Amino acid sequence: MRRKLPRTGSRLMSIEPHSEGFVAIDRASYGYGAWPAIVDHVDWTIPRGAIHCLVGRSGCGKTTLLKLAAGLLLPDEGIVRIDGAALREPGPQIGFVFQAPTLLDWASVLDNVLLPISLKRRPRAVDREAALDLLKLVSLDGYAQRYPSELSGGQQSRVAVARALVTQPAVLLLDEPFAALDALTREELQDDLLRLCALHETTVLFVTHDITEAVYLADRVAVMAAGRLHHQIAVDLPRPRQREMRYGQAFNALCRELRQAMDLAP
Amino acid sequence: MTATMIARLSSALLLLVLLAGWELYCRLAGVPALIVPAPSAVLATLWSEIASGRLLPHLQITATEMALGLALGCAVGLAAGIVLAEVGFLRRLLHPYIVASQVVPKLALGPLFIIWFGFGMTSTVVITALICFFPLMENTMTGLGQVDPARRELFRMLGATRLQTLLRLKLPSALPVIMAGVRVAVVLALVGAVVGEFIGGRAGLGASIIAAQSVMDSGLMFALFIVITLMGMLFYQGATWLERLLLRHHLKG
Ligand SMILES: Nc1ncnc2c1ncn2[C@@H]1O[C@H](COP(=O)(O)OP(=O)(O)O)[C@@H](O)[C@H]1O
Ligand SMILES: [Mg+2]
Repeated sequence: MRRKLPRTGSRLMSIEPHSEGFVAIDRASYGYGAWPAIVDHVDWTIPRGAIHCLVGRSGCGKTTLLKLAAGLLLPDEGIVRIDGAALREPGPQIGFVFQAPTLLDWASVLDNVLLPISLKRRPRAVDREAALDLLKLVSLDGYAQRYPSELSGGQQSRVAVARALVTQPAVLLLDEPFAALDALTREELQDDLLRLCALHETTVLFVTHDITEAVYLADRVAVMAAGRLHHQIAVDLPRPRQREMRYGQAFNALCRELRQAMDLAP
Repeated sequence: MTATMIARLSSALLLLVLLAGWELYCRLAGVPALIVPAPSAVLATLWSEIASGRLLPHLQITATEMALGLALGCAVGLAAGIVLAEVGFLRRLLHPYIVASQVVPKLALGPLFIIWFGFGMTSTVVITALICFFPLMENTMTGLGQVDPARRELFRMLGATRLQTLLRLKLPSALPVIMAGVRVAVVLALVGAVVGEFIGGRAGLGASIIAAQSVMDSGLMFALFIVITLMGMLFYQGATWLERLLLRHHLKG
């Protein structure tokens, strides 16, 4: 018996709710059992293999929306579909990278990366090799037998990304994974992430509050404020993305547009 | 020479100074040996007890009681803590009883245990186990309740079963708190074993203290205090060593 806000006017941008999307969020609302809703009738679709970013001030409901997309929370209203099937609980098709690296201190880097597999079955030699390859791809060659306490913050984030990708999930959700890192490390990790996601055409939803990060990574960026999506821009910069693009005119124009959209949002 | 070495040397020196002061006081003030024996007399008694082979069997008995009671109490306390942390219904049901049982002076149950288990090792082991049980149960419950929510969500995300979450996330996360409980239990186990023997022991260091008291041999009592203290320090050192081994990869703080 939840009271609803009267809807005033139509949303600024709305995508056709039933368009073909690999990840489809369909009029989803969620409120932690209280009013008002923290995520308020959000519609969003992500095509297979696309990288979408979500920007917004802290507290606007980004993490909550991401948890709805992960199946960690179930929407009060609306539905989330992955590849056409309604999402009722977290599944192996979805990888999640949390805000903090959330590594297990007592397990080696290799065992941390293998965790998603070792919870299902005993890891085989091929799994170990795949994990070592992933570590190589995030420039952690030779760190497999170290422990998290011996790694820098950036290295821990790399392990967290490798762990999320070791089962080759079709969808990867990331919640401000690089927010705590310095600018240089963050840029390196963005490049690593793009490279890894291109390998298996992973569909990505990336939450951040950093505008340049969003523009650099995304095919499409949405602005969230007070639980709603207010604006979206398509990023048509060529792929693969390169560092020089950050200083180009097109890149900066997109950043400015996004910034203005954020300022306009309530 | 490192700072820790200097500190250790100073501690040893302090002990020597204190012992010398005690010895001097006893000799100069003429304190009767029955009230406070001089350190030299205590050491002589200790040595004769060791040399005659009278001490060792008692030491073995008390150490065995302490080790058995500690192991039993820790194992049962750990299991009870896990069950209470995992089963919310049981925890709410038993909460008032747990609080009440913590307040009960466990040593006061000693005479009852003698009726149940007779004089000798069993009743002392049971008292020791009972005393060790509580810090372990308490700390296990606390530790299991404090697991980082983000890591729990990670395990949910990965489809971990409840048992996997317990064994591979919650228990390792709670290990620092559990090991702090073990250290408390070690200290309590020594009290349990010695006082348990006061009440119902036939042999052991605690029983020997009572025997020495009955013949007014304070020198022997002091000698036994020294042995008990050294034994306690050994057990405590063992627990610290185990803790360091188990927590060697845990992040500090
Ligand atoms: N577990 C929770 N229970 C109740 N309210 C919550 C919970 N988590 C978040 N919120 C509320 O939801 C709002 C949005 O939180 P969140 O989705 O984490 O925002 P963001 O990730 O954009 O910073 C916040 O105002 C917060 O108070
Ligand atoms: Mg957040």
